[in-house]
This record gives sequence, structure tokens and C-alpha cells, in this order.
Amino acid sequence: MMDIIFMVLSLFAIGGALGMVLFHQPVHSALSLIVTIIALAGIFALLSASFLFMVQIIVYAGAIITLLIFIIMFLNVKESNLPKEPYKNITLFFGAIALLPVNFLILRAFLKLPMAHASLASDFGTIKALGMELFETWLLPFELISILLLVALIGGVVFGRKEEEA
Amino acid sequence: MIAHSLFPYIVLAMILFSIGLLGVISRKNIFVIYMSIELMLNAINLLFVTLAHYHQSMASQVMAMFVIAIAAAEAAIFLSLIVVLYKRKKSLDSDSYKALSQKESL
Repeated sequence: MMDIIFMVLSLFAIGGALGMVLFHQPVHSALSLIVTIIALAGIFALLSASFLFMVQIIVYAGAIITLLIFIIMFLNVKESNLPKEPYKNITLFFGAIALLPVNFLILRAFLKLPMAHASLASDFGTIKALGMELFETWLLPFELISILLLVALIGGVVFGRKEEEA
Repeated sequence: MIAHSLFPYIVLAMILFSIGLLGVISRKNIFVIYMSIELMLNAINLLFVTLAHYHQSMASQVMAMFVIAIAAAEAAIFLSLIVVLYKRKKSLDSDSYKALSQKESL
């Protein structure tokens, strides 16, 4: 049963990713990226990361991609303003060939790991376990992330204001 | 018994990262480049979660959550930058943003 779920989810993930790269219109690309992200959320659930499963759906699919689709619709890009990409398929083909040896090396490195499916503690991946780890070991990075988000907020305001006449 | 070994998850993360990298190098539409970067971040997240399962440690899941937070900050900056540049250039071609590397041309 787990196998079938994993196969279906990974097929959706890879199909959505390929669609994202291949579609010409940005809206179609964004919609197929949502398919990939929700499939990845399901795979997080398979790996018993239940809190990250929720975060992936709420933050990624709910906030980031929605913002992206909102911006795409807000700009209302005409077909004539889209860049022409005459060499897209050729670059994709040769890029895929060039990436094959790299991927082979990565696979060989990971094959050396023993890949047993360990039995986990019952609270693994829950919000409590993650919160304990976050606030005991990773407190300083957590505060730094909040500063980063504040800087991003200020940056968004600075980019979004009206330009003064120079 | 595919899902009971961790190797397929790593293969899936690798495939998604490769597709994202291909998207960055082969597309010119700035939105698709942004989405490819998001796809690569997601693939790295999948790798983090897989290794969290392998080592039975929550530290990699915390790291994956940091990656999601950084992706949110990146989305805010990247998209507002795209809006400003599209208003000036009326184009989504990433080549037309070369002006960012020169001081006076905007």
C-alpha cells in the first residue's frame, strides 16, 4: 500500500516539475508547481514528518505559490511580452545529458549508506518534538530567521513604494 | 517494498533538483526561473526530511523548516523586484535585466 502511494505521489511530483519547466505560459507553470508541492507534502507525510506536511501545504501551497499566482495575474502579461525561447528544448536536452554523470556520482555516494527503515519513536515529526528541538538547540538561528523576515518585509516596502521624480 | 527503503526518496529528490537546475539554465522567463529555484529548495527539503528519518533526529526537520522560512523571505523580495522591473521594461525576459549590473543604465 505504501509503495503504491509513494509511486503515485512521485509520479505526480515529477510530472508537475516537468510541466513547470516545459509550459510556455507562467500561469500553467505555477499551477503545475502546485501539483509538485502538494505531492511532496504527501511524501513528507510518508516519511512521518507530520508537522512539515502541514507547513508545506499552509506556507508553500497556501502562501508562496498563491502570492506568485497573484503577481502573475496582477502583471497581466501579454503573449507579446513573454520572452521568445527558440533554443529551449535543445538546451533542456543537452543540459539533461550533461547532468547525467553528476547524478550518477550522487547516486553512488548514497548507495553506500545502509538504507534500513528504522522504527521511530511515536512522537517523531510531531509539532512537539520539532518545537523542543527548535527551542533547545536551534534558538539563535531561529531568532536570526526572524530578523531575515523583517529585512525581507522592509525590502518589500522599499521596492513597492512610488518612485520620487528625480 | 519500495517505500520501506530510503533510497527511492533520495532518487526522487535528485530528479527534482535536476529538473529545477535545467529550468534555471534553459528558460528565459523570469517567473519560470523563480519557480525552478523553488523546486530546487523543495528537493533539498525532501533530502533533509529523508535524512531526518534515517538518523532519527529532528535536527534536519528543523533545518527543512528554516529552508521554508528563507523561501518565504525570498518570495517577497523576488516578486516585488519582478513587479518593479516589469513596470520599467515591459518584459519578462531575464536578459533584459542586465541593467542591474550597471550603475547608470536604469
